[in-house]
Amino acid sequence: MSTTALARPATAPAKLQRGLAFWLGALAIGIGLFLGLRGLGNDYAYFAGYFILQYVVLATAWNILGGYAGYVNFGAAGFMAAGAYTAIALRKATGLDLLPGIVAAGLVGGLLGLGTGYLTLRLKGVYFSIATLCLSVVLQTLVVNWDYVGGSRGAYVIRPQTIDPFTSYGEYLFIVMLVLAIGAVGIARAVENSRLGRGLQAIRDNERAAEAVGVPTLRLKLVATALCGALMAIAGAPLPYYSGYLNPEAAFSLAYAVNAIAMPLIGGAGTWAGPVIGAVLLGAMQQAATVTISSALNLFIVGWMLVVFVALAPRGILGWFRTRR
Amino acid sequence: MNTTTRRELGRLAIAAAIGGAGASGAAFPSFAQGSNPIRIGYSMSLSGGLAGNGRATQLAHQIWAAEVNARGGILGRPVQIVFYDDQTNGGQVPGIYTKLLDVDKVDIVTSPYATAMIAPAMPVVMQRNMCFLTIFGAGVNTAFKYDRHFNMNVVGDNMKETYARGFLDIAAKLPSPPRSIAILAVDNDFAQRAAESARFLAKERGIRVVYDRSYPPSTVDFTPTIRSIAATRPDVVFIASYPPDSNAILRATSELRFQPPMFGGGMVGPQLAAFQQQLGPILNNLVNWDVYSPEPTMQFPGVVAFLEKYRELAPREQADLLGNYIPPYAYAQMQVLEQSLTRVGKIDQAALAADMHASTFETIVGSVKFGASGEWAEERNLYVQFQNIRDGDLEKYKRAGTKVILAPSRLATGQLQHPYGPPA
Repeated sequence: MSTTALARPATAPAKLQRGLAFWLGALAIGIGLFLGLRGLGNDYAYFAGYFILQYVVLATAWNILGGYAGYVNFGAAGFMAAGAYTAIALRKATGLDLLPGIVAAGLVGGLLGLGTGYLTLRLKGVYFSIATLCLSVVLQTLVVNWDYVGGSRGAYVIRPQTIDPFTSYGEYLFIVMLVLAIGAVGIARAVENSRLGRGLQAIRDNERAAEAVGVPTLRLKLVATALCGALMAIAGAPLPYYSGYLNPEAAFSLAYAVNAIAMPLIGGAGTWAGPVIGAVLLGAMQQAATVTISSALNLFIVGWMLVVFVALAPRGILGWFRTRR
Repeated sequence: MNTTTRRELGRLAIAAAIGGAGASGAAFPSFAQGSNPIRIGYSMSLSGGLAGNGRATQLAHQIWAAEVNARGGILGRPVQIVFYDDQTNGGQVPGIYTKLLDVDKVDIVTSPYATAMIAPAMPVVMQRNMCFLTIFGAGVNTAFKYDRHFNMNVVGDNMKETYARGFLDIAAKLPSPPRSIAILAVDNDFAQRAAESARFLAKERGIRVVYDRSYPPSTVDFTPTIRSIAATRPDVVFIASYPPDSNAILRATSELRFQPPMFGGGMVGPQLAAFQQQLGPILNNLVNWDVYSPEPTMQFPGVVAFLEKYRELAPREQADLLGNYIPPYAYAQMQVLEQSLTRVGKIDQAALAADMHASTFETIVGSVKFGASGEWAEERNLYVQFQNIRDGDLEKYKRAGTKVILAPSRLATGQLQHPYGPPA
């Protein structure tokens, strides 16, 4: 059983009220961020914001499988790259732009997650994690040898310089990522508060017991892997538009896999707010480190934060606040 | 089920606000303008896979800046270099360039080292119509077609038809002209372009390709690969590889005592001091692509003085100890910028680009003229042979006669020795 006891299911009106409060809050934060950054009046704020928000989506996606169900996915970079390369392939094949690319990435990522889940979910613990790591390697090998999307040479995406009604393409990318991040967190919250979320938490606590009391474990895990895969791929879809050029090394970068795990753990895995806090904190620190001390300390910071949190606050920032309450 | 109460959210919001204030303060530092310097900004790989060459480039730029400032600067203004480490991560590059241009408000931007890092900077630079002088890219502008892009690299803009020409010209001078070639290339952009050139030119010259394979960058054991190449008994072997695999390939070739008449190609790695030190006699008679060798035909004005200064500072900066590869070109890149700025007389991106298209630049790597695409108008792919190498002592690489230039013929300083292999 989870260390925090299952809360009593809220009554329907109270649930609706909390849901409304969440969405209004998210909308307010979204508008506040947009207006605040526009007020700053420089594109860098949008790029830094994009950098952090992509991690919000990625960490939230990881949390659905890793946080709620306890299945640790090391293949975040693989799913993210699958999304990025779906967007590239779609653009090349049909000329369709970013938004259709995101939808296609979601579909491909979802199917990939479902397939991976079906093949690997009989594995548990570290064996499942190793299987997801292998998936990333298999996908990278596929992409490297797939000349249509640039293969090992990488693919160029020539994006327009501006797009109406936005002031710049950077702003457009930021808004897109902001909407995706709010959507992803909303989905995670909905999962957390639903039967699905409770089922996943039962699986995390004791899969056999959950199965014995009638939780349809395989079905729930498949839904979770599909959702996790889809959201990770969606986080990756705008990447080629952001950088203008994508090669397999950049798309399958270790940094994505490490951050996708570190951020929810530091923020507090198993809650919708944890990955958001972790992503904002770590993402902002990494971005700040890049442009201030400017060195390899980046992943070093993530590593140390992880060690410190595992030692001092094993349930992340949220857990730490809870225990102090 | 875990739920987050309103009180918890309140505490978190306060914590986030404090953290956010710290982060934003760090991310948007203000710079003292003081003497109104000309600010040149770039991102550079100072950590990660490309850090070796990134550090060497950075050191060359620092030497240039110190010299220019000692001379009184450019247009009466000192120069200041603003740089950030991209950690060899292309995903960091767009953010860094927007910061350089929008927050730091640099006057000029130049590039990080190599294609994979240059390309992500292009959209940002193009959006602001900046003149962009890059270093050691390969065909970046083929996709972007940006008329203010210039690239400091010897390969020119028609790699397919020119890159391996020198190598095959040298092979033609073997006592029995080659009839077969084996091609091996790592899966990355530069190596694949190099292999494509070797394939194309071999076909054009009627040389049969008896082995043609690529390998993933993560490969560590090349013994089976070299065995299968040896089994095809090629007259020449053309390899396009990156530093970690170049090392493993050369060691495997040496251990298997595979000694074809001519061995080499477009291997990146043997140009660097660390390789020369570690591999020693394994490099003997290797015929390899290069960009600079201290031979009499490449003693352009200023290059000796630069290399002396570079070698003095390199150990402290943990950069390549000899600087025979990228540093002279990195210095020359800044010379181009300096000459162009001086001629134009003001910081005007359009005028700078027009000047770079129109002018010939005298640099420490010789005269440089850019073609329409921004690449060198005339390619200068060097093929050098490591001759009489018996140990890993670096002193000999500072003198002529060690990395002997065989192609192009106008710069050649020696004759081909064969077969490949350590001296008897």
